[in-house]
Amino acid sequence: MKKPLRKRMNRIFLYLALFAVCFVSIFPYLWMVLVSVKERVLVYQPGVWFFQPTFENYKTIFQRYDLGSYMINSAIIAGCNCVISLFFGSLTAFALARYRFKGRKQFSFFMLFIRILPAVASIIPLFIIAAALQMLDTHAVLIITYLLFNIPFTVLMMQGFFEDISRDIEEAAMIDGCNSFQVLYKIVVPLAMPGIVATAIFCIINAWNEFVYAMQLTTFNASTVPTIVQMFKTVTGIVWGEMSAVGTVSTLPVLVFAMLVQKQMVRGLSFGAVKD
Amino acid sequence: MGKLSVQFQNRLRKHPQVPYILPTAIVMLLLFILPLVFVFLISLTNYRLGVGLDDISFLGLSNYKRLFSGEESGFYYSVFISVFFMVLGTLIQMILGMICALLLNQRFRRKGLVIACLIVPIAMTPSIASQIWKLMFNSEFGVINYFIEAVTGQTVQWLSADYAFLSVLIATVWQYTPFVTLMLYAGLCSLPQSPYESAILDGANKWQLFRHITLPLLKNLILLCALMRSIDMLKTFDIPYVLTQGGPGNATRFLSLKIYDTGFGEQNFVGRASAMAVVLIVLVSLISLALFRVMNKSKEG
Repeated sequence: MKKPLRKRMNRIFLYLALFAVCFVSIFPYLWMVLVSVKERVLVYQPGVWFFQPTFENYKTIFQRYDLGSYMINSAIIAGCNCVISLFFGSLTAFALARYRFKGRKQFSFFMLFIRILPAVASIIPLFIIAAALQMLDTHAVLIITYLLFNIPFTVLMMQGFFEDISRDIEEAAMIDGCNSFQVLYKIVVPLAMPGIVATAIFCIINAWNEFVYAMQLTTFNASTVPTIVQMFKTVTGIVWGEMSAVGTVSTLPVLVFAMLVQKQMVRGLSFGAVKD
Repeated sequence: MGKLSVQFQNRLRKHPQVPYILPTAIVMLLLFILPLVFVFLISLTNYRLGVGLDDISFLGLSNYKRLFSGEESGFYYSVFISVFFMVLGTLIQMILGMICALLLNQRFRRKGLVIACLIVPIAMTPSIASQIWKLMFNSEFGVINYFIEAVTGQTVQWLSADYAFLSVLIATVWQYTPFVTLMLYAGLCSLPQSPYESAILDGANKWQLFRHITLPLLKNLILLCALMRSIDMLKTFDIPYVLTQGGPGNATRFLSLKIYDTGFGEQNFVGRASAMAVVLIVLVSLISLALFRVMNKSKEG
């Protein structure tokens, strides 16, 4: 009799813990959705849970703040950046996974090391260079700048995926007369597709959410969603309802995409670092 | 021409990796090395935004002397809280992340739903999420105090000088722990089963399995994760910038915020800001080099 009880207790504890994890994770998002449909007065009364929802805030953010154009900018920048990062990054990851050459380890380390550069440090030179090239406030400047963190991330993640792919098929293709580029595009890339999807979602999240470069390198024409927070600092304080509506809408595309590729997303995160 | 192309092909055969790596190497040269050199050069001048090029003069190391002599008020404090924030934040994220990953690795239904919940903080834009935290932390009408008051009858001044650091820490841990969790969970999923089976036969308990099998096998992944998190924590900007603006006073003026305020705030001392940026870069480099060394050692051993 003793054992089943303990097992059942363990089970209850597990579900309680899982519930707590889920609750804490999604609470800020739920709260944001709740605030976004509250009347302005109700925002200051956290204890009110049931009320007549209003969609005024959603109307305002699209009409007055033109959230649509921010989201289009974000989509263009994240999309283009993701494609370029995947292309350059996969090439490099393939070389690091397949060839044994002098300096290979150092190059791998370099890819990790690039992360050290703080945005607030590189923003000064990048601003000066972009101004000189008359590229400030364009999509291109952010598409290029974001390569700084998305290419190394792609290399890191794709290297793990490429190392998992058996070389037998590649060698057979080589014998059939494919050169190494053809092997990469005809055989390795299709096999690594789940990994590419997973890497893509992280590249998009990184680019979609980036704040410092977007804030400094754009002013109007190419402003992305994260910079919108500055619009809501009015003299009378932050307009919480509208702010929350922006957050709710702007997170949705990334969130939906991430949910769809959940499985691949998790698998790629071991970075091939677990090897026995 | 023909000779040249033969020579080229021979070189390519000897170094087949070059065409694959070259595009990335060029981009990184332009976006990493060039700004790095540039920042260092600017840090040796008195450059200010909006000042004509003729007025820029070379100062040598005086920007650095100013920093280390303590003349720049609040610099040492910024360095201190940044490092403290990094150590504490990384530790909490790694421990919580490991606990959540182990929970996730149990057998239960609706696992996809739990993972979906964990993706929410990963997908939420930090600058926007921080605004929501600001609303939730509000001492009068924040929902967190509403809950705390309901339970204890007291309220906490979350964004006051005493608690601002903790508030930033909580928001940061919330935002980034799910990434650590999913990373470690991915590692747990790819572990081989056989060592566990033989250890269970030998009568090992759950803690022994974790301590002597799981941890050593995951060591590289854990170190990689800790490395990535430490670097990001030391560079932290978005969350304190939106949540506290470095205040109240200097309570949460982390080094990157200090750099931003000096370079882009009211005074636009870009030269001085660059000197601080170089210090931050050196600091991050040293820490990541140290961690990388540990990683390499564990790979060999």
